[in-house]
Amino acid sequence: MNPADVWHHLLLGLWTTLRLSTASMGVALALGTLIGVLRVAPVPVLRWFAAGYVEFFRDIPLLPVLVFVYSGLPKAGIRLPTSFDSAVAGLGVYTAAFVAEVVRAGLQSVHKGQIEAALSLGMSFLQMIRLVLLPQAFRMMIPPLGTVFIALVKNTSIASAIAVEELLYQAEFVIGRTFADWPMLVAFFLYLVITVPLSGLVNFLERRLRILL
Amino acid sequence: MQASERPWQTLVGVGIVLLLIPLAFRMEPARFQPFAQGSTWRFLALGLALTLEASAIAILASIPLAVLFALARHSGPPWLRYPVIVVVEGIRALPLLGLMFYLFLRLSALGRQMGLDALTRPDAAVIAALWLYTGAVNGEALRAAILSLPRGQWEAARALGLTYSQAMRLVILPQAFRRALPPLVAQFATLVKDTSLGAIIGFIELYRRGVILFQGERNPMETLYVISILYFLINYSLGRLASMLEHRLGFHPGLR
Repeated sequence: MNPADVWHHLLLGLWTTLRLSTASMGVALALGTLIGVLRVAPVPVLRWFAAGYVEFFRDIPLLPVLVFVYSGLPKAGIRLPTSFDSAVAGLGVYTAAFVAEVVRAGLQSVHKGQIEAALSLGMSFLQMIRLVLLPQAFRMMIPPLGTVFIALVKNTSIASAIAVEELLYQAEFVIGRTFADWPMLVAFFLYLVITVPLSGLVNFLERRLRILL
Repeated sequence: MQASERPWQTLVGVGIVLLLIPLAFRMEPARFQPFAQGSTWRFLALGLALTLEASAIAILASIPLAVLFALARHSGPPWLRYPVIVVVEGIRALPLLGLMFYLFLRLSALGRQMGLDALTRPDAAVIAALWLYTGAVNGEALRAAILSLPRGQWEAARALGLTYSQAMRLVILPQAFRRALPPLVAQFATLVKDTSLGAIIGFIELYRRGVILFQGERNPMETLYVISILYFLINYSLGRLASMLEHRLGFHPGLR
Protein backbone atom coordinates (compact mmCIF):
# COMPACT_ATOMS: atom_id res chain seq x y z
CA MET A 1 0.00 0.00 0.00
CA ASN A 2 1.66 3.25 -1.12
CA PRO A 3 1.14 6.67 0.49
CA ALA A 4 -1.40 7.65 -2.18
CA ASP A 5 -3.56 4.66 -1.22
CA VAL A 6 -3.24 5.58 2.45
CA TRP A 7 -4.44 9.11 1.74
CA HIS A 8 -7.23 7.74 -0.43
CA HIS A 9 -8.50 5.56 2.43
CA LEU A 10 -8.20 8.34 5.00
CA LEU A 11 -10.02 10.87 2.82
CA LEU A 12 -12.80 8.34 2.19
CA GLY A 13 -12.98 7.93 5.95
CA LEU A 14 -13.10 11.71 6.45
CA TRP A 15 -16.02 11.92 4.02
CA THR A 16 -17.90 9.20 5.94
CA THR A 17 -17.14 10.98 9.23
CA LEU A 18 -18.62 14.19 7.81
CA ARG A 19 -21.72 12.41 6.49
CA LEU A 20 -22.16 10.53 9.77
CA SER A 21 -21.76 13.72 11.84
CA THR A 22 -24.28 15.74 9.85
CA ALA A 23 -26.85 12.94 9.55
CA SER A 24 -26.64 12.20 13.29
CA MET A 25 -26.88 15.90 14.11
CA GLY A 26 -30.06 16.05 12.02
CA VAL A 27 -31.62 13.24 14.05
CA ALA A 28 -30.32 14.75 17.31
CA LEU A 29 -31.73 18.19 16.47
CA ALA A 30 -35.20 16.83 15.65
CA LEU A 31 -35.41 14.51 18.65
CA GLY A 32 -33.57 16.88 20.98
CA THR A 33 -35.88 19.79 20.17
CA LEU A 34 -38.89 17.57 20.90
CA ILE A 35 -37.43 16.44 24.25
CA GLY A 36 -36.32 19.99 25.06
CA VAL A 37 -39.85 21.28 24.50
CA LEU A 38 -41.25 18.44 26.62
CA ARG A 39 -38.87 19.62 29.38
CA VAL A 40 -41.03 22.75 29.77
CA ALA A 41 -44.41 21.20 28.85
CA PRO A 42 -47.41 22.02 31.06
CA VAL A 43 -47.95 18.28 31.79
CA PRO A 44 -45.78 17.07 34.72
CA VAL A 45 -45.38 13.47 33.50
CA LEU A 46 -44.04 14.67 30.15
CA ARG A 47 -41.58 16.99 31.90
CA TRP A 48 -40.39 14.15 34.13
CA PHE A 49 -40.02 11.81 31.16
CA ALA A 50 -37.95 14.39 29.26
CA ALA A 51 -35.79 15.12 32.32
CA GLY A 52 -35.31 11.36 32.78
CA TYR A 53 -34.32 10.91 29.14
CA VAL A 54 -31.69 13.64 29.39
CA GLU A 55 -30.32 12.41 32.71
CA PHE A 56 -30.16 8.76 31.60
CA PHE A 57 -28.33 9.28 28.33
CA ARG A 58 -25.94 11.82 29.79
CA ASP A 59 -24.91 9.33 32.46
CA ILE A 60 -24.18 6.31 30.25
CA PRO A 61 -21.37 5.74 27.73
CA LEU A 62 -22.11 5.94 24.00
CA LEU A 63 -20.59 2.57 23.13
CA PRO A 64 -23.33 0.37 24.68
CA VAL A 65 -25.96 2.53 22.95
CA LEU A 66 -24.36 1.99 19.53
CA VAL A 67 -23.95 -1.73 20.12
CA PHE A 68 -27.53 -1.94 21.40
CA VAL A 69 -28.75 -0.55 18.08
CA TYR A 70 -26.28 -2.57 15.99
CA SER A 71 -26.39 -5.99 17.68
CA GLY A 72 -29.49 -5.74 19.84
CA LEU A 73 -32.26 -4.30 17.69
CA PRO A 74 -32.11 -7.07 15.04
CA LYS A 75 -33.14 -9.45 17.85
CA ALA A 76 -36.30 -7.36 18.24
CA GLY A 77 -36.91 -7.62 14.50
CA ILE A 78 -35.69 -4.08 13.82
CA ARG A 79 -33.11 -4.30 11.05
CA LEU A 80 -31.48 -1.12 9.84
CA PRO A 81 -30.06 -1.48 6.31
CA THR A 82 -26.40 -0.63 7.08
CA SER A 83 -24.12 -0.13 10.06
CA PHE A 84 -23.98 3.53 9.02
CA ASP A 85 -27.74 3.78 9.70
CA SER A 86 -27.30 2.04 13.06
CA ALA A 87 -24.63 4.59 13.96
CA VAL A 88 -26.86 7.50 12.90
CA ALA A 89 -29.70 6.13 15.06
CA GLY A 90 -27.46 5.51 18.09
CA LEU A 91 -25.56 8.79 17.85
CA GLY A 92 -28.82 10.67 17.20
CA VAL A 93 -30.64 9.24 20.21
CA TYR A 94 -27.60 9.80 22.46
CA THR A 95 -26.80 13.33 21.26
CA ALA A 96 -30.49 14.30 21.47
CA ALA A 97 -30.10 14.36 25.27
CA PHE A 98 -27.40 17.03 24.97
CA VAL A 99 -29.37 19.00 22.37
CA ALA A 100 -32.44 18.89 24.63
CA GLU A 101 -30.52 20.61 27.44
CA VAL A 102 -29.47 23.39 25.06
CA VAL A 103 -33.07 23.78 23.82
CA ARG A 104 -34.43 23.90 27.37
CA ALA A 105 -31.88 26.50 28.44
CA GLY A 106 -32.66 28.50 25.29
CA LEU A 107 -36.42 28.41 25.88
CA GLN A 108 -35.98 29.43 29.51
CA SER A 109 -33.72 32.34 28.54
CA VAL A 110 -36.57 34.11 26.73
CA HIS A 111 -38.10 36.88 28.81
CA LYS A 112 -41.14 35.89 30.89
CA GLY A 113 -43.17 38.74 29.43
CA GLN A 114 -43.02 37.02 26.05
CA ILE A 115 -44.75 33.96 27.51
CA GLU A 116 -47.39 36.05 29.24
CA ALA A 117 -47.99 38.02 26.05
CA ALA A 118 -48.28 34.88 23.93
CA LEU A 119 -50.67 33.22 26.36
CA SER A 120 -52.80 36.34 26.72
CA LEU A 121 -53.12 36.44 22.92
CA GLY A 122 -54.81 33.05 23.27
CA MET A 123 -51.96 30.99 21.82
CA SER A 124 -51.73 27.33 22.73
CA PHE A 125 -48.56 25.94 24.33
CA LEU A 126 -47.28 24.58 21.02
CA GLN A 127 -48.08 27.80 19.15
CA MET A 128 -46.23 29.78 21.78
CA ILE A 129 -43.20 27.47 21.53
CA ARG A 130 -43.17 27.47 17.74
CA LEU A 131 -44.04 31.09 16.97
CA VAL A 132 -42.69 33.03 19.93
CA LEU A 133 -40.10 31.17 21.97
CA LEU A 134 -38.08 29.03 19.53
CA PRO A 135 -37.40 31.83 17.03
CA GLN A 136 -36.09 34.07 19.82
CA ALA A 137 -34.24 31.29 21.61
CA PHE A 138 -32.60 30.04 18.43
CA ARG A 139 -29.90 32.71 18.40
CA MET A 140 -28.92 31.88 21.97
CA MET A 141 -28.76 28.21 21.12
CA ILE A 142 -26.28 28.37 18.24
CA PRO A 143 -22.98 28.47 20.17
CA PRO A 144 -23.87 25.67 22.62
CA LEU A 145 -25.23 23.59 19.73
CA GLY A 146 -21.87 24.09 18.05
CA THR A 147 -20.17 22.67 21.13
CA VAL A 148 -22.53 19.68 21.04
CA PHE A 149 -21.72 19.19 17.34
CA ILE A 150 -17.95 19.22 17.99
CA ALA A 151 -18.40 16.54 20.66
CA LEU A 152 -20.53 14.60 18.18
CA VAL A 153 -17.83 14.73 15.49
CA LYS A 154 -15.35 13.28 17.97
CA ASN A 155 -17.90 10.67 19.08
CA THR A 156 -18.39 9.42 15.51
CA SER A 157 -14.99 7.76 15.91
CA ILE A 158 -16.68 5.27 18.28
CA ALA A 159 -18.80 4.06 15.34
CA SER A 160 -15.64 2.33 14.13
CA ALA A 161 -16.49 -0.28 16.78
CA ILE A 162 -19.66 -1.22 14.85
CA ALA A 163 -17.85 -1.42 11.51
CA VAL A 164 -18.70 2.01 10.13
CA GLU A 165 -15.87 2.88 7.77
CA GLU A 166 -15.25 6.36 9.09
CA LEU A 167 -11.93 8.11 9.61
CA LEU A 168 -10.66 6.16 12.62
CA TYR A 169 -11.76 2.85 11.11
CA GLN A 170 -9.86 3.64 7.92
CA ALA A 171 -6.80 4.70 9.90
CA GLU A 172 -6.83 1.40 11.81
CA PHE A 173 -7.34 -0.50 8.55
CA VAL A 174 -4.41 1.24 6.87
CA ILE A 175 -2.18 0.72 9.92
CA GLY A 176 -3.07 -2.97 9.89
CA ARG A 177 -1.90 -3.14 6.27
CA THR A 178 1.22 -1.00 6.41
CA PHE A 179 2.47 -1.53 9.99
CA ALA A 180 3.36 2.17 10.06
CA ASP A 181 1.71 4.46 12.58
CA TRP A 182 2.00 7.77 10.73
CA PRO A 183 -1.46 7.29 9.14
CA MET A 184 -2.95 7.79 12.64
CA LEU A 185 -1.19 11.15 12.85
CA VAL A 186 -2.71 12.08 9.49
CA ALA A 187 -6.11 11.02 10.82
CA PHE A 188 -5.52 13.24 13.90
CA PHE A 189 -4.68 16.12 11.59
CA LEU A 190 -7.90 15.54 9.62
CA TYR A 191 -9.95 15.50 12.85
CA LEU A 192 -8.30 18.77 13.89
CA VAL A 193 -9.14 20.27 10.49
CA ILE A 194 -12.82 19.77 11.39
CA THR A 195 -12.86 20.47 15.12
CA VAL A 196 -10.43 23.39 15.51
CA PRO A 197 -12.16 25.80 13.04
CA LEU A 198 -15.52 24.78 14.50
CA SER A 199 -14.47 25.61 18.05
CA GLY A 200 -12.98 28.88 16.80
CA LEU A 201 -16.34 29.68 15.22
CA VAL A 202 -18.18 28.78 18.44
CA ASN A 203 -15.91 31.09 20.46
CA PHE A 204 -16.42 33.89 17.97
CA LEU A 205 -20.22 33.53 18.03
CA GLU A 206 -20.21 33.34 21.83
CA ARG A 207 -18.29 36.59 22.08
CA ARG A 208 -20.56 38.30 19.56
CA LEU A 209 -23.68 37.19 21.39
CA ARG A 210 -22.28 38.49 24.66
CA ILE A 211 -21.73 41.89 23.08
CA LEU A 212 -25.19 41.96 21.54
CA LEU A 213 -26.95 41.16 24.80
CA MET B 1 -42.35 28.04 32.84
CA GLN B 2 -40.81 25.59 35.28
CA ALA B 3 -37.14 26.10 36.15
CA SER B 4 -36.03 22.49 36.44
CA GLU B 5 -37.22 19.24 37.93
CA ARG B 6 -36.50 18.07 41.44
CA PRO B 7 -34.28 14.99 41.83
CA TRP B 8 -37.19 12.66 42.62
CA GLN B 9 -39.08 13.90 39.57
CA THR B 10 -36.05 13.26 37.35
CA LEU B 11 -35.71 9.80 38.86
CA VAL B 12 -39.38 9.09 38.15
CA GLY B 13 -38.63 10.17 34.58
CA VAL B 14 -35.64 7.83 34.38
CA GLY B 15 -37.95 5.10 35.68
CA ILE B 16 -40.40 5.83 32.85
CA VAL B 17 -37.57 5.67 30.29
CA LEU B 18 -36.31 2.40 31.77
CA LEU B 19 -39.84 1.00 31.63
CA LEU B 20 -40.42 2.08 28.04
CA ILE B 21 -37.19 0.58 26.62
CA PRO B 22 -38.02 -3.10 27.40
CA LEU B 23 -41.63 -2.54 26.28
CA ALA B 24 -40.62 -0.88 23.00
CA PHE B 25 -38.13 -3.59 22.09
CA ARG B 26 -40.15 -6.49 23.53
CA MET B 27 -37.41 -7.76 25.79
CA GLU B 28 -38.23 -11.17 27.27
CA PRO B 29 -37.99 -11.76 31.03
CA ALA B 30 -36.38 -15.16 30.29
CA ARG B 31 -33.41 -13.39 28.72
CA PHE B 32 -32.67 -11.61 32.01
CA GLN B 33 -32.18 -15.04 33.57
CA PRO B 34 -28.32 -14.77 33.78
CA PHE B 35 -28.78 -11.82 36.12
CA ALA B 36 -30.48 -14.07 38.66
CA GLN B 37 -27.14 -15.79 39.23
CA GLY B 38 -24.49 -14.62 41.65
CA SER B 39 -21.68 -15.64 39.32
CA THR B 40 -22.85 -13.13 36.68
CA TRP B 41 -22.71 -10.32 39.21
CA ARG B 42 -19.31 -11.38 40.50
CA PHE B 43 -18.04 -11.34 36.90
CA LEU B 44 -19.45 -7.84 36.37
CA ALA B 45 -18.28 -6.58 39.76
CA LEU B 46 -14.67 -7.36 38.78
CA GLY B 47 -15.18 -5.32 35.62
CA LEU B 48 -16.72 -2.49 37.57
CA ALA B 49 -13.74 -2.53 39.92
CA LEU B 50 -11.37 -2.25 36.94
CA THR B 51 -13.42 0.62 35.49
CA LEU B 52 -13.35 2.53 38.77
CA GLU B 53 -9.68 1.73 39.33
CA ALA B 54 -8.59 2.97 35.89
CA SER B 55 -10.72 6.12 36.30
CA ALA B 56 -9.35 6.80 39.78
CA ILE B 57 -5.71 6.33 38.72
CA ALA B 58 -6.25 8.57 35.70
CA ILE B 59 -7.88 11.36 37.66
CA LEU B 60 -5.39 11.33 40.54
CA ALA B 61 -2.43 11.23 38.18
CA SER B 62 -3.98 14.01 36.12
CA ILE B 63 -3.92 16.51 38.99
CA PRO B 64 -0.17 17.31 38.84
CA LEU B 65 -0.44 17.44 35.05
CA ALA B 66 -3.42 19.79 35.33
CA VAL B 67 -1.51 22.08 37.71
CA LEU B 68 1.41 22.14 35.28
CA PHE B 69 -0.86 22.93 32.32
CA ALA B 70 -2.81 25.58 34.23
CA LEU B 71 0.28 27.35 35.60
CA ALA B 72 2.14 27.22 32.28
CA ARG B 73 -0.83 28.67 30.49
CA HIS B 74 -1.71 31.18 33.18
CA SER B 75 1.70 32.62 33.89
CA GLY B 76 4.39 30.58 32.16
CA PRO B 77 7.09 32.14 29.98
CA PRO B 78 6.14 32.36 26.28
CA TRP B 79 8.39 29.45 25.23
CA LEU B 80 6.41 27.22 27.59
CA ARG B 81 2.97 28.83 27.35
CA TYR B 82 2.42 28.52 23.61
CA PRO B 83 3.45 24.87 23.27
CA VAL B 84 1.23 24.04 26.26
CA ILE B 85 -1.73 25.84 24.67
CA VAL B 86 -1.21 23.85 21.45
CA VAL B 87 -0.94 20.55 23.33
CA VAL B 88 -3.93 21.17 25.61
CA GLU B 89 -6.20 22.40 22.83
CA GLY B 90 -4.99 19.63 20.52
CA ILE B 91 -5.72 16.87 23.01
CA ARG B 92 -9.16 18.26 23.70
CA ALA B 93 -9.97 18.53 19.99
CA LEU B 94 -9.06 14.90 19.20
CA PRO B 95 -11.32 11.87 19.63
CA LEU B 96 -10.31 10.02 22.78
CA LEU B 97 -10.59 6.63 21.07
CA GLY B 98 -8.03 7.69 18.45
CA LEU B 99 -5.67 8.85 21.18
CA MET B 100 -6.10 5.54 22.99
CA PHE B 101 -5.45 3.54 19.85
CA TYR B 102 -2.34 5.55 18.98
CA LEU B 103 -0.92 5.31 22.51
CA PHE B 104 -1.59 1.58 22.45
CA LEU B 105 0.53 1.27 19.29
CA ARG B 106 3.35 3.40 20.65
CA LEU B 107 3.38 2.08 24.20
CA SER B 108 3.27 -1.57 23.16
CA ALA B 109 6.13 -0.98 20.69
CA LEU B 110 8.08 0.79 23.43
CA GLY B 111 7.27 -1.94 25.94
CA ARG B 112 8.55 -4.65 23.60
CA GLN B 113 11.71 -2.67 22.94
CA MET B 114 12.44 -2.17 26.62
CA GLY B 115 11.16 -5.59 27.68
CA LEU B 116 8.52 -4.00 29.90
CA ASP B 117 5.49 -6.26 29.79
CA ALA B 118 3.22 -3.85 31.65
CA LEU B 119 3.51 -1.27 28.86
CA THR B 120 2.34 -3.69 26.17
CA ARG B 121 -0.99 -4.30 27.89
CA PRO B 122 -4.09 -2.34 26.87
CA ASP B 123 -4.54 -1.13 30.49
CA ALA B 124 -1.45 1.05 30.13
CA ALA B 125 -2.71 2.72 26.95
CA VAL B 126 -6.21 3.22 28.40
CA ILE B 127 -4.89 4.85 31.56
CA ALA B 128 -2.31 6.93 29.66
CA ALA B 129 -4.95 8.27 27.23
CA LEU B 130 -7.42 9.03 30.01
CA TRP B 131 -4.63 10.69 32.02
CA LEU B 132 -3.58 13.00 29.18
CA TYR B 133 -7.15 13.84 28.23
CA THR B 134 -8.25 14.48 31.80
CA GLY B 135 -5.10 16.47 32.51
CA ALA B 136 -5.98 18.79 29.64
CA VAL B 137 -9.61 19.15 30.70
CA ASN B 138 -8.80 19.60 34.41
CA GLY B 139 -6.01 22.03 33.54
CA GLU B 140 -8.58 24.24 31.87
CA ALA B 141 -10.98 23.87 34.82
CA LEU B 142 -8.20 24.84 37.21
CA ARG B 143 -7.14 27.78 35.05
CA ALA B 144 -10.77 28.97 34.98
CA ALA B 145 -10.86 28.64 38.77
CA ILE B 146 -7.63 30.66 39.14
CA LEU B 147 -9.01 33.36 36.85
CA SER B 148 -12.29 33.43 38.79
CA LEU B 149 -10.62 34.43 42.06
CA PRO B 150 -11.01 38.12 42.90
CA ARG B 151 -7.94 40.24 42.05
CA GLY B 152 -7.82 41.37 45.66
CA GLN B 153 -6.47 37.96 46.63
CA TRP B 154 -3.39 38.52 44.48
CA GLU B 155 -2.97 42.10 45.58
CA ALA B 156 -3.28 41.24 49.27
CA ALA B 157 -0.79 38.38 48.96
CA ARG B 158 1.76 40.52 47.15
CA ALA B 159 1.20 43.43 49.58
CA LEU B 160 2.07 41.05 52.43
CA GLY B 161 5.42 40.54 50.76
CA LEU B 162 4.79 37.07 49.33
CA THR B 163 6.66 36.28 46.15
CA TYR B 164 4.74 35.18 43.06
CA SER B 165 5.31 31.49 43.77
CA GLN B 166 4.44 31.86 47.45
CA ALA B 167 1.24 33.70 46.56
CA MET B 168 0.35 31.03 44.01
CA ARG B 169 1.14 28.15 46.34
CA LEU B 170 -0.26 29.49 49.60
CA VAL B 171 -3.11 31.75 48.57
CA ILE B 172 -4.34 31.20 45.03
CA LEU B 173 -4.04 27.45 44.38
CA PRO B 174 -5.76 26.30 47.61
CA GLN B 175 -8.76 28.46 46.78
CA ALA B 176 -8.71 27.49 43.11
CA PHE B 177 -8.68 23.79 44.08
CA ARG B 178 -11.78 24.33 46.18
CA ARG B 179 -13.55 25.90 43.24
CA ALA B 180 -12.33 23.23 40.84
CA LEU B 181 -13.58 20.40 43.07
CA PRO B 182 -17.14 20.09 41.66
CA PRO B 183 -15.89 20.02 38.02
CA LEU B 184 -13.32 17.43 39.11
CA VAL B 185 -16.07 15.15 40.43
CA ALA B 186 -18.05 15.68 37.22
CA GLN B 187 -14.91 14.82 35.26
CA PHE B 188 -14.62 11.57 37.19
CA ALA B 189 -18.10 10.64 35.95
CA THR B 190 -16.94 11.37 32.39
CA LEU B 191 -13.92 9.13 32.96
CA VAL B 192 -16.12 6.26 34.16
CA LYS B 193 -17.99 6.54 30.85
CA ASP B 194 -14.86 6.97 28.73
CA THR B 195 -13.15 3.94 30.24
CA SER B 196 -15.62 1.84 28.22
CA LEU B 197 -13.68 2.85 25.08
CA GLY B 198 -10.82 0.77 26.44
CA ALA B 199 -12.94 -2.29 25.64
CA ILE B 200 -12.22 -1.66 21.95
CA ILE B 201 -8.47 -2.12 22.42
CA GLY B 202 -8.91 -5.09 24.74
CA PHE B 203 -9.28 -3.73 28.27
CA ILE B 204 -11.69 -6.13 30.00
CA GLU B 205 -13.64 -3.60 32.07
CA LEU B 206 -17.36 -3.38 32.89
CA TYR B 207 -18.74 -2.87 29.39
CA ARG B 208 -16.44 -5.46 27.80
CA ARG B 209 -17.56 -8.00 30.39
CA GLY B 210 -21.13 -7.25 29.37
CA VAL B 211 -20.18 -8.01 25.75
CA ILE B 212 -18.55 -11.29 26.79
CA LEU B 213 -21.75 -12.19 28.68
CA PHE B 214 -24.12 -11.42 25.83
CA GLN B 215 -22.01 -13.23 23.26
CA GLY B 216 -22.43 -16.37 25.34
CA GLU B 217 -26.07 -15.85 26.26
CA ARG B 218 -27.14 -14.27 22.96
CA ASN B 219 -29.07 -11.52 24.76
CA PRO B 220 -27.36 -8.26 23.69
CA MET B 221 -30.36 -6.01 24.37
CA GLU B 222 -31.02 -7.27 27.87
CA THR B 223 -27.36 -7.33 28.93
CA LEU B 224 -26.57 -3.87 27.53
CA TYR B 225 -29.72 -2.58 29.23
CA VAL B 226 -28.51 -3.85 32.61
CA ILE B 227 -24.94 -2.60 32.02
CA SER B 228 -26.23 0.84 31.09
CA ILE B 229 -28.29 0.98 34.28
CA LEU B 230 -25.11 0.24 36.27
CA TYR B 231 -23.32 3.13 34.57
CA PHE B 232 -26.33 5.32 35.19
CA LEU B 233 -26.41 4.53 38.92
CA ILE B 234 -22.73 5.38 39.36
CA ASN B 235 -22.73 8.55 37.31
CA TYR B 236 -26.04 9.81 38.63
CA SER B 237 -24.66 9.52 42.17
CA LEU B 238 -21.47 11.31 41.14
CA GLY B 239 -23.53 14.05 39.52
CA ARG B 240 -25.53 14.53 42.72
CA LEU B 241 -22.28 14.64 44.69
CA ALA B 242 -20.89 17.31 42.36
CA SER B 243 -23.94 19.53 42.72
CA MET B 244 -23.99 18.97 46.49
CA LEU B 245 -20.35 20.09 46.69
CA GLU B 246 -21.18 23.11 44.60
CA HIS B 247 -23.91 24.08 47.05
CA ARG B 248 -21.82 23.27 50.10
CA LEU B 249 -18.87 25.32 48.89
CA GLY B 250 -21.21 28.18 48.24
CA PHE B 251 -20.71 29.17 44.62
CA HIS B 252 -22.08 28.41 41.22
CA PRO B 253 -20.14 27.65 38.06
CA GLY B 254 -22.10 30.40 36.31
CA LEU B 255 -20.46 33.04 38.46
CA ARG B 256 -16.95 32.76 37.14
